[in-house]
Amino acid sequence: MANVLDLRRRIRSVKNTRQITKAMKMVSAAKLRRAQDRAMQARPYAQMLTNVLESLVRRTDLFDSATGDIMHPLLVEREEKNVLVLVVAGDKGFAGGFNSNIGKAAQRFIDERRALGQNVDLEPTGKKAIGFYKRILTANYEHKEELYDNELSKHIEDIRHRVEPIEVVAQHPTMLLKADFDEVTDMANSIIKRYERTEIDSVYIVFNEFKSVIQQRVVVEKLLPIRKLGSHEITALEEMTEEQREAAAKAAQSAGVSINVPEESVAEQEAKKFGTAEVDYIFDQAPERLFSNLMPRYVTTQIFHALLESIAAEHAARMTATDAATKNAGELIDKLSLTMNRVRQAAITKEIIEIVSGAAAL
Amino acid sequence: MAETGNNSGLLTVRLVTPDRVLVDATAEAVELPSMSGYLEALYGHAPLLAELGAGEVRLHGGTSGDQTFFVAWGFVEVLPERVTILAETALHPNEIDKAEAQQELQAGDKMWHEAGDDGAKYDEANAIMREAAEKIASAEGKTAA
Repeated sequence: MANVLDLRRRIRSVKNTRQITKAMKMVSAAKLRRAQDRAMQARPYAQMLTNVLESLVRRTDLFDSATGDIMHPLLVEREEKNVLVLVVAGDKGFAGGFNSNIGKAAQRFIDERRALGQNVDLEPTGKKAIGFYKRILTANYEHKEELYDNELSKHIEDIRHRVEPIEVVAQHPTMLLKADFDEVTDMANSIIKRYERTEIDSVYIVFNEFKSVIQQRVVVEKLLPIRKLGSHEITALEEMTEEQREAAAKAAQSAGVSINVPEESVAEQEAKKFGTAEVDYIFDQAPERLFSNLMPRYVTTQIFHALLESIAAEHAARMTATDAATKNAGELIDKLSLTMNRVRQAAITKEIIEIVSGAAAL
Repeated sequence: MAETGNNSGLLTVRLVTPDRVLVDATAEAVELPSMSGYLEALYGHAPLLAELGAGEVRLHGGTSGDQTFFVAWGFVEVLPERVTILAETALHPNEIDKAEAQQELQAGDKMWHEAGDDGAKYDEANAIMREAAEKIASAEGKTAA
């Protein structure tokens, strides 16, 4: 049996661990609150953009009257041969099953698509997501520039050479640090470009949706082609288990984070009415033009929204995980203290017996 | 809401960016940098939807006095008693980094020269240059209305 000194040392070490996990929990709770606020603040913009698009759809012809073709390239549905998957996970570990759940959902999706004989392009966001696909080949682009015969102008083209059926196209290791809208715009524009030149036929995003601490799920959502504006087309999802929900609720309660879905702000309620008044608007520009300028922005806000939710979900997961760790450390301390007291008592009893029997022998 | 019964002759103005609601105020008049030129909305303006280019949104009168914001791309809905502006970027003129804008201008210029036969690249380069030029003008307080 261990001696008292050893046990005391262990207890001290576990106590330190508990301190750390407790601090981490509080930090995550604070970050979660901020992330949640940010996701809320971003909602009016997304809502308004969707509204304007919807009201434009009603006013413009989406189909060419002569040929019956769809006017906007982002609405065109093609046979899915090459699929792009955006995988959004976290930057750090210590968040329970957060990262691995995303990884698993993404893998399942990739396997499904491969089984159908489709090629899969990957675009991971967050350091952990990038880590999943470290061993997969990076896509190879050839940049071609050639002068025209008159040598006045250049023809520029990027050609993709596919080697493997699964390739990583782009990585975003620092995107989650600030979740800057401009950066997301660049990412979305690059995706749209690839979609328009038919390098990819559809785009999906795998991320952790976040409504509140106890309402989260891992979803696979279709981004392109857009089938219906304002609705989320979810192709696969995984809800939280009852156990996870309870653990999350407990952690949230002890950290002082609300588990309710935050109420809509006035600005958000107003945002719902944006562009929907029952009047004939004067259009400063042609509706078709407005529409095609708004479409890429719609895609951007969808991705932006997913990133903000994923960030909130990551902090929530870390809060829950560190709360569980704190609790486990506490239990361990109790158990060790009990053993230590027992060992000490045994030593005392032994000494007393020795003294007593020594006295009796005199 | 107050606006429906609002007879004060003041517009409710809201400026929304992807990150947050930046301005929630009232004004007598709002100047907007529409794609086809500056326009001004007063109380009672006919319903209008317009795309905004790079330029300044100016609020005149109203409770919080005159305010100016630089917007890069945006969208506006004008209703008789309300103006709502969606802006991809909105900055206070004091927040503009002139050196950075100058760099953007040069980058845009470089892009324009290297665009080759890619029409979209020219548009993009033009948009970048215009945004940077407007930014600099706004920071210097020289934009022509």
